[in-house]
Amino acid sequence: MSRRKFLRQAGALTSGLILHQQLMAAFSSSLQQTINIGFIGCGDRSRGILSIMQELPAEFKVTAVCDILDFRLADMLKAVNDPNVKGYKDHRKMLEDKSLQAVIIATPLNMHYPIAADALAAGKHVFLEKTMTYNIPEASKLVQLAKQHPSQVLQVGHQYRYVPLYFRVKEMIEKGYLGKITHIDCRWDRNWNWRRTVPEGYTDKQINWRMYKAYSGGLVAELLSHQIDFINWAFNTHPDEVLGTGGIDFYKDGRETFDNVQVVLRYNKENMIGNFGATCGNSREGYIFKLKGTKGTVALLVNEGVFYPEPATRKELQVVDGVSGATKIEWNKDGGIPILKEKGKDGTWYALKDFHACVTEKKKPTSNVITGATTAVCVHLANAAAYTNTIQQWKPSYNFSS
Amino acid sequence: MRPFFILLLACFYLAAARPREMQPWQLSGFAQGTSWHITYYAPDSVASHASIDSILDKLDSSLSIYKPYSLVSQFNRCTDSLQIDEHLANVVNASFLASQNTGGIFDITIQPVTQAWGFGPIKVTDMPDSLTISNLMHCVDVRYLSLKGSVLFKQKPCVSIDVNGIAQGYSVDVLADFFEWKHIENYMIELGGEIRLKGLKYPGAQPMRIGIEAPAESEFEPAMMQKVIRPANGAITTSGSYRKYFQSKGQKISHIIDGRTGYPAKNELISVTVFASRAIMADAYDNALMAMGLEKAMQFLKQHPDMAAYFIYRKKDGAIADTASTFFDKFIFVE
Repeated sequence: MSRRKFLRQAGALTSGLILHQQLMAAFSSSLQQTINIGFIGCGDRSRGILSIMQELPAEFKVTAVCDILDFRLADMLKAVNDPNVKGYKDHRKMLEDKSLQAVIIATPLNMHYPIAADALAAGKHVFLEKTMTYNIPEASKLVQLAKQHPSQVLQVGHQYRYVPLYFRVKEMIEKGYLGKITHIDCRWDRNWNWRRTVPEGYTDKQINWRMYKAYSGGLVAELLSHQIDFINWAFNTHPDEVLGTGGIDFYKDGRETFDNVQVVLRYNKENMIGNFGATCGNSREGYIFKLKGTKGTVALLVNEGVFYPEPATRKELQVVDGVSGATKIEWNKDGGIPILKEKGKDGTWYALKDFHACVTEKKKPTSNVITGATTAVCVHLANAAAYTNTIQQWKPSYNFSS
Repeated sequence: MRPFFILLLACFYLAAARPREMQPWQLSGFAQGTSWHITYYAPDSVASHASIDSILDKLDSSLSIYKPYSLVSQFNRCTDSLQIDEHLANVVNASFLASQNTGGIFDITIQPVTQAWGFGPIKVTDMPDSLTISNLMHCVDVRYLSLKGSVLFKQKPCVSIDVNGIAQGYSVDVLADFFEWKHIENYMIELGGEIRLKGLKYPGAQPMRIGIEAPAESEFEPAMMQKVIRPANGAITTSGSYRKYFQSKGQKISHIIDGRTGYPAKNELISVTVFASRAIMADAYDNALMAMGLEKAMQFLKQHPDMAAYFIYRKKDGAIADTASTFFDKFIFVE
């Protein structure tokens, strides 16, 4: 099934299982071709991607792994568990390997651009973790670079574009089931310091790079970028104005990135406000993603979602004493309708399937350099607003096109 | 002073002797994978939520294909016969009659085929091919079942049953019997869109109104009403292809499987709403009428004047239309 045809038909999807099949059909390649792939950066994210990739042996063969930290490299080689896989400390050396067709880049944010540029120059297909780049100039440069390598795939790891639940929500928005959406509320909270233990012989900056502005965009880049990207995708839009605030409000432990942040994105074309916030000082609500429309609310967890119709849409039910219809939907006891009856696979699974299909069939990924650049700009505007207490405006130069 | 006192006493006496006013009592909950709502009219509450739950639990443990311990599941696993309870026996007997009357379109032994099409308790990932269906159809025939006393027999070990098409209707009847036993004369019982109603609503002694749902493309769209009816005492059930179907290769696969062929019904009907005296009857025939298609369904109703039906269908030009049998027309309510 072609992707376009799939998207046309998606309106009739009814269950998670079928959604899984259709997503699989849309993101799968008809070509039986195994891609030789290498990992650059072997932290937790790469280990997660590796475990999912190991479910896809027909699509990918891991042939090389690279990390500048010895213990990460050793752990990754152990996890790959294949004596033929080569370990590298320098990604440029790894990229010289002609048999290597593609790379996963999952490094600290400041290294995304230089490594992606090296990989493109070396003729590799690139799966680049989010956020795409550390700053806006790098986002622009990567868009230009990708244009110079039209036969190579550059996919960005904004995986909500591949999660069945989020796919379904996008469709609900497009079909108008939520009515006019005016407000979006997102949180990604925790009640811990968001730090990793530093093994002996390593520095805090090497392990806890997310705490340092030189390497990371903090909570906004590492977490909220997912939801920001989803809104860009679902509404085919970008914010026009970004307000922000934040601070190092609880963990005064030498970190530079905020442990408490709130940004407000104004979408003029959509007449919509998006609130995106995260704190390291409370875990009561944890993950929140709510889209509020005149006809109903969608409340999302990472892999579950519930639709709550607005009371007005139920009013009609009150003029009769009973309603006869085909067997009814299962309403939650709080009046919500579950969005998926069954959980699909992890978004990364579909994202990797799409990466394989794009490489083998020379297609453009759903999460590509243009969408990745757009979301990277949003993240940087949000951080700029929060760090400098200014209102950031979208500029025409941020409107990327392929 | 004295006349006033006597008057006061008389008032008290009259108040005590006059029957207390009817008022609505409402109960609702979740069972059988859907919701239920009950409204009954009585001076006092006569039924608790717990008593309804316990009736529905008992029915589930007899009839549910989704409960591995149910009698239906036990029967499907057994190779020969099973001692069954009164509920399952009632449902099986009603099923025999419905199979006979519909020429096998309604058939509870269709279970292996329904499962293969993905509408059973086990998840499937691929649509069945014609060979699979023709092999499975060797296990499908209601004549492979026989009920002797309270023992249900199967002629072939592969025979298994699915009473989902009739269980909700039967459950509604059992609940109605419960209220009858409590001497309640005015009630509306609804489970998963299947309804039994009797009498009037109070205060005001007005006839009850029942909405027939319009087909919606998605469960997230607000449920709109296609028609509002004022039926006689009896049961109203609806079968529709609009809510439960799969999409495969651009085609909608309806959950309504024709027991004669083993294939999903493909015709112009989107939903059928049936009126009958009991919900088990209405429920048994709504799916069969769906499978027949509009013309044959109308003919069928002429031969069965104890039933009435309302149809929503798609015309050849794609437009959605509705029609009803003559008997049903009388219920259609015009403000």
